[in-house]
Amino acid sequence: MASHGITRGPGTAARSEEARQKELQQITAYKDLMDLVNTKLAERQYTIEVLGLATKLLNENPEYYTIWNHRRRVLLALFSATPSEEAPAQSSEELVQGDLLLTFALLRKFPKCYWIWNHRNWVLREAESILGADAAHQLWLGELQLVNKMHQADSRNFHAWSYRRFVVAQLERLATSAHATTSGSLVESEFNYTTKMIKTNLSNFSAWHNRGKLIPRLLGEGNADSKTRRALLDAELALICEAINTDPFDQSIWFYHQYLISTLSPSCPPEDLIVSDLNNGERQKYYEHEMEYIKEILDDEADCKWIYEALLYLAEAYLEVEGGTKAFTTKDMQSWLDELKRLDPLRKGRWEDLGRRLDL
Amino acid sequence: MSLVSGPGRGMTAMPAEMQLYVDRHVRYIQSLDTRKDELEYWLTEHLRLNGLYWGLTALHLLGHPDALAREGVLAFVFSCLHEDGGFGAAPGHDAHMLYTVSGVQILATLDAFDELEERMKGGRQKIGQYIANLQDPDTGTFAGDEWGEQDTRFLYGALNALSLMGLLHLVDIEKAVQHIQSCANFDGAYGTSPGAESHSGQVFTCVAALTIAGRLDLVNQEKLGAWLSERQLKNGGLNGRPEKKEDVCYSWWVMSSMAMLNKLHWIDGEKLTKFILQCQDPELGGLADRPGDMVDVFHTVFGIAGLSLLKYPGLVEVDPVYCMPRAVTRRCLGK
Ligand SMILES: [Zn+2]
Repeated sequence: MASHGITRGPGTAARSEEARQKELQQITAYKDLMDLVNTKLAERQYTIEVLGLATKLLNENPEYYTIWNHRRRVLLALFSATPSEEAPAQSSEELVQGDLLLTFALLRKFPKCYWIWNHRNWVLREAESILGADAAHQLWLGELQLVNKMHQADSRNFHAWSYRRFVVAQLERLATSAHATTSGSLVESEFNYTTKMIKTNLSNFSAWHNRGKLIPRLLGEGNADSKTRRALLDAELALICEAINTDPFDQSIWFYHQYLISTLSPSCPPEDLIVSDLNNGERQKYYEHEMEYIKEILDDEADCKWIYEALLYLAEAYLEVEGGTKAFTTKDMQSWLDELKRLDPLRKGRWEDLGRRLDL
Repeated sequence: MSLVSGPGRGMTAMPAEMQLYVDRHVRYIQSLDTRKDELEYWLTEHLRLNGLYWGLTALHLLGHPDALAREGVLAFVFSCLHEDGGFGAAPGHDAHMLYTVSGVQILATLDAFDELEERMKGGRQKIGQYIANLQDPDTGTFAGDEWGEQDTRFLYGALNALSLMGLLHLVDIEKAVQHIQSCANFDGAYGTSPGAESHSGQVFTCVAALTIAGRLDLVNQEKLGAWLSERQLKNGGLNGRPEKKEDVCYSWWVMSSMAMLNKLHWIDGEKLTKFILQCQDPELGGLADRPGDMVDVFHTVFGIAGLSLLKYPGLVEVDPVYCMPRAVTRRCLGK
């Protein structure tokens, strides 16, 4: 009912009689399984056997969210069940491991299915209250490996990125409560993870995004002084400028550049600042330096619209703080805008609005 | 932007590549519930009520509101309604925000809240309460159901359905608005939760929720408009995030957000129209994510709603906040 990237075939009317019969058999088998599971669940047969049937059904259809709900009801009952002669219970630990295996296998096949990610998350939260904090810490550590695997398959998978942030928060929480003296913060290793992802693929905006979110924490937790903050800003600008030079047509890179520049502005919210004690003279120098660097790239890439957009963005920021010395003229700005209109006719209306806003 | 070249110009006068195959799409949607001999029909039961909302809305926008029998639609909707006021995807499926919103949208489109009351006394209020109970009192955001998954999609859904029923006062709007703001990123766009990467689908949910709350002033309109306009690729289609592929459903998430910000003219509407039209199945009807792919009712409604925003001639006006006919939301909201 909502499919992506599946090539259109000849349609069901063109099925052979044999194919039609086969599909009808599949439907019968699927419906029988569905009815069986639903009947047993309606009777509240919360047993290992029913859990197995639910596994079978979820393997065929992991989007069947009601079965995931029932699965959790069954698990909750089994977690608190006492073993008996007729039905030897599985330990809670075994049950947890079973569901981690199931969801891992399913995520490999359906990496964008919300319900599978949710269920895994739920199992791990339950595991903490059943197995205790130390065991939970080990389990959450394993989740970082899971995310690595998911990112190897698709480095932009936003479920995996969100999950990673959640896992890190759990690890930090557990470390802090266990060892009140150490901070348990993973911000530095997470920052390094984004470096690694970016080095593999410059165009990975998910990694750039996460990097930008980590910077204020990295600086804040380290009680960074003014010098350290400046060093980090300069290092980030150097990194992104190198990236621009490598592929000036990649918008991920330009958005990160824009982010760094936005932290220089006097109107940047205090919690987002990288350097907290810039004066206008310094701001101006940063803007000038970026403009010069970008103009150099222009020599080889005169048809890259991102360059002109960045120049205008920097010029506008510059004008906000300039003290009389002007690194460019209104005529320069006009010519950059003309280039944008020439190179990027899709967004013509936007460039016209921009011209009006900048009085060009 | 507008493709209309004057009154009296019907769709038959369109050049072939600008044709919208209205009759085929109507027949495609009508056929959806007759496909019980296809495994896919059974594997998508968890989307049935959403599917009905998508199909019904597409038909209304195409100007064929009666192509599905009202009685049948309502009977199915009521069969998904639980005692607690939540809707499931189909009979026997658990209640969840995603289906509750679709249920309310269908009832609103069919002007059937009176029938709801006949069916379940105080039904409207019960549905409103089901939704309100899913709000997290600490953060202001909403869960999808009793299991607690939170996402700005559910927050939007809550405000969408409650406003259609005139029950917004049941929830803490100010807190919800604060939560949306905490999901904003430096690029002006929004993610699923605080810290998450900007994503067009989430931009739609956040901007639409802010519109319903009357707080569009909180949006960095210049930056977000720019980010949204960069979703358009050379082939005219729109993608969901930087450096991703184009997809018809994003023509809705991106364009509706731009429409709410009055920035639709920041992309090339004619090129986008052509791209959407290329995604039609010209023989069997329906639209796909990309040209040549398999169609489905999800991409069909969002493609058609996108064309309506682009003022494709002959289509009924869509409300960018609700993805429903404008006339319906005007009636429900009294404006
Ligand atoms: Zn799509």
